[in-house]
Amino acid sequence: MKKLGKLWLFGLFTLILVLATACSNDKGGTEKTEGTPKDDDTKKEAVTLTIGSWRTEDTAKYEKVIAEFNKKNPDIKVEFKPSKNTEYNTILNTALQSGEGPDIIHLRPYAPGIALADAGYLEPLDGVTGLDVFPEAALNASKGTDGKQYGVPLNMSTTQMFYNKKIFKDNGLKEPKTWDEFIKLAQTLKDKKIVPIALGSKEGWLLSAAHGIFGPAHYGGNEFVEKITKGETNFNSPEFVNSIKAMDELKKFFPDNYEGLGMEDIRTLFATGTAAMFPMGSWEIEVVRGLNPDIEIGFFPMPSAIGKEATITAWVDGSFAVNAKSKHKEEAKKFMEFLATKEFATLFTNEFKMISAMPGVKSQDELVTGLSEAVEKISTPYMMVVHFAGGNPTSKATLETELQGMYLGKQTPEGAAKKVQENAETWFKPFQQ
Amino acid sequence: MQTEINPEVITQKTHKKRKRWGIHLFPIPALVIYGMFIVYPLVAALAYSFYDWKGIKKGAFIGLENYKNLFTAEPFSGMFWNAFGHNFLYFAVQMVVQNGLAFFLAFIIYQKIRGAEFFKLAYFLPRLLSVIVVGFLWKLILNPNFGALNVLLGKMGLENLKKAWLGDPDTALLAIILVNCWFGIGFAVLIFLAGFQAIPKELIEAGRLDGAKGFTMIRTIMLPLMMPSITIMTVLTFIQSFEAFELVYAMQGSQGEPYRSTDTLAVYFYRLAFGGSTGDSTAIGLGSALAVVLFIFISIVTAFYLKSMQKKQVEM
Amino acid sequence: MKQTIWTKPIYYIVAFLFASISLYPIILMILSSFKPNMEIMMSPLSLPKSFSLQTYQNLLDRVPFMTYFYNSVFVSVVSVLLILITTSLAAFYIARYTFWWNNVLFFIFLMGMMIPIKLGIVPLFMLMKDLGLTNSLWSLILMYTATGIPLSILILTGFFRTMPAELEEAARIDGATDLRILWNVVLPLMRPALGTVMIINFIQSWNDFFFPLIFITDDLKKTIPVGMLSLFGEYSADWGALFAGLTLSSLPMMILFFIASKQFMEGLTAGAVK
Repeated sequence: MKKLGKLWLFGLFTLILVLATACSNDKGGTEKTEGTPKDDDTKKEAVTLTIGSWRTEDTAKYEKVIAEFNKKNPDIKVEFKPSKNTEYNTILNTALQSGEGPDIIHLRPYAPGIALADAGYLEPLDGVTGLDVFPEAALNASKGTDGKQYGVPLNMSTTQMFYNKKIFKDNGLKEPKTWDEFIKLAQTLKDKKIVPIALGSKEGWLLSAAHGIFGPAHYGGNEFVEKITKGETNFNSPEFVNSIKAMDELKKFFPDNYEGLGMEDIRTLFATGTAAMFPMGSWEIEVVRGLNPDIEIGFFPMPSAIGKEATITAWVDGSFAVNAKSKHKEEAKKFMEFLATKEFATLFTNEFKMISAMPGVKSQDELVTGLSEAVEKISTPYMMVVHFAGGNPTSKATLETELQGMYLGKQTPEGAAKKVQENAETWFKPFQQ
Repeated sequence: MQTEINPEVITQKTHKKRKRWGIHLFPIPALVIYGMFIVYPLVAALAYSFYDWKGIKKGAFIGLENYKNLFTAEPFSGMFWNAFGHNFLYFAVQMVVQNGLAFFLAFIIYQKIRGAEFFKLAYFLPRLLSVIVVGFLWKLILNPNFGALNVLLGKMGLENLKKAWLGDPDTALLAIILVNCWFGIGFAVLIFLAGFQAIPKELIEAGRLDGAKGFTMIRTIMLPLMMPSITIMTVLTFIQSFEAFELVYAMQGSQGEPYRSTDTLAVYFYRLAFGGSTGDSTAIGLGSALAVVLFIFISIVTAFYLKSMQKKQVEM
Repeated sequence: MKQTIWTKPIYYIVAFLFASISLYPIILMILSSFKPNMEIMMSPLSLPKSFSLQTYQNLLDRVPFMTYFYNSVFVSVVSVLLILITTSLAAFYIARYTFWWNNVLFFIFLMGMMIPIKLGIVPLFMLMKDLGLTNSLWSLILMYTATGIPLSILILTGFFRTMPAELEEAARIDGATDLRILWNVVLPLMRPALGTVMIINFIQSWNDFFFPLIFITDDLKKTIPVGMLSLFGEYSADWGALFAGLTLSSLPMMILFFIASKQFMEGLTAGAVK
């Protein structure tokens, strides 16, 4: 009996030991037995690159991109391995900190991406040719503080007011040319029991995005951005406070219960024709069309309230970079060069229905073409993303929280502006002098 | 409890010693796995709290600077106390609503009502779902315009009770906690039921013969014998409410929206350590410091509670 | 309780009320998965106008669901076994012996619950890398075993302590070893607690998505939640498909639970009879 007892115990230990060793063997073993049918390493010299990204929805489209790349580089295999957008950064950061990660990294624009470069996790794209086709503004989204280029810009995103063409036509409405016309238009819709503006305040990022559209009309677009980035003005200035006040006044044109509405809700309101206008980004065009294929979407640049030019808000929304710890940097750089070609840009524009970061690439989609033309003429940057995505919490996140507070009646426009200024002063160099 | 006081045959003593040696192997497998995959990584990560971090790159050793900032620098200290209050509410509501109800429901099932099996299953079913599924499902149900709850209220003629449940800072946190109760009640019922069933029948019979009835019976005989399961649920609820993360994150994201009204310490930690969802900046040093503070707080309270419970049990 | 004619009906009413609150959202989820998007928005409460399995078919065509299912079963079963073995040994030691360090040991195990394990994710990732376990199901099994230990020890120790010492004494005098006492005397009596530990850990490892997200990059090594999660981004605007996805990822667990519940519930009552 006693012996048996001890035996049991030893059995247990051996079991655990066996399991522990089985672990390390397991990897090779299962790969052989299960074997992915498509990719047996028949050619030993073939190199496999992995791309990390948050765009799970684009998997099929990237396969076409990779096929195009393989026409000229048949011996470089590329795998697109996206993860869920909300957890992408956690996954990527963990892997990078442990010296791992995908060979090619889909980089968030501006501050977060540049932070990775500054921390030494990215390979500078020194020898990569063809990057000069991109405008300086696009390259800035992934330029390190050391002045080196770390990413190839992929796409521009724009935010603007979308509208339902049918609703506008049925009610005899026209695209507004001034802010007053815009307010009048919204009032007319409201009187006709149509929700004028599909926007909710449940998710903070919707509010900073909306401010990116409405704000420039009040603070005066590029001129103000230039001044504030030099530290010549700040967020407490009347121009900026006015832009917040304007956001507050617009709430009467929002749907019922707007404080409880998130992205899915407002998209549905617009797609179903319940709401006439939708202050949103270009990436939503295809999603709305997917919900309601019959919808005719138009857009208009936001007319200025202070007599300036109407604006459309645009910024680089993503770049591709090379992992400094990649074992195949040369091959990855070849892929970078491919990303900077006109062939890729054209393929991208047509397949993804997005605006390429490369100027002068025409899309087959009328709406997208309209947007990219507007970008070249009257664009203003998404100031909070391009210049104020630093700090902790970021100034952008602070603006989101405070705008949310304002819509809930817990914060004044002046108070919101003040909080953003206080936050920016903790990290934004021009404010610290 | 004590085996050694047993005055039985002293000849067995040598025997026992040998046995005693073997017994010390019992906790080893658990300790090895636990030590390797919980203690080691956490201790390694705790050191982060003493360093300055530039994004995800470790900087210089700065001693207790992060701890100081956590409690003195705005907005960090404001967010800390705001979240702390929410965790406390989380605990209070869960104790009363989830555990209170579960105790009662377990008692009903213990009364051998018909369909007891069905009820047990029904209460437990939500616990089978992943928290992501739970969060998503309830987000839909609580949706102000299309959601089942408001539609239902409308049909019952209670138009003025309709609300943007998750968008209103007055109701958002409570709504999440109640969803958590919905999710967790089945487990509490099981624990309490196991507790009721562990009460020796003879004691209840004895009590009945002594004339104990109704609540006297529950208070004087059942409640003391239920203390192990009550202790388990209290400790568990305490720890889980102060670690509340997944459901809040699934329903409201990492910013504690709206307007920080649903922020909890663990969500705040996540935001600091991993940044927001779109690659916002991280503050790993501060985040680790927060985790340490949270850990110290929970462990002190738990130790204190367990100690006092043990004393009570000894007194009994 | 004082039994009046009202007692039983009140019991039933309360029990039914809460059973329907528990079940309704789940039924809603399953029903909604058969509806097209617009129908969910416009009439969320009504029964679907027509039943079609098309959405499910589409989903299953997109992902290797059976592989995910196999991975989930393997990971959950092995972790639960490891947890049951390791924690019943440890809890027995802590609950039935009175060495001075037992309380300390108990508390050390508890501490694992008091700090977010996410904090240690970078050291963990490096550890798994050194063990050669990244992209292996064993990384998940070890993590679920480790994270399941604190709660299981809390529950088992609590219940082991309630067992009358006399039973054990008797066996000891008969000359039984500690292991035999644990196996033959303690564990059979503790079936409700063991059942609870088993179920709760099974669910935990089945539903977790954080560790696979970090450790697993190979699509064929993914478990159900993380495999299905990647679909959610694609279908974020199509609620019908989303609900089908949610149902699909919850259904195996529910079916397993219904099959196992008979044994499980019998275990519960068997424990009660003694």
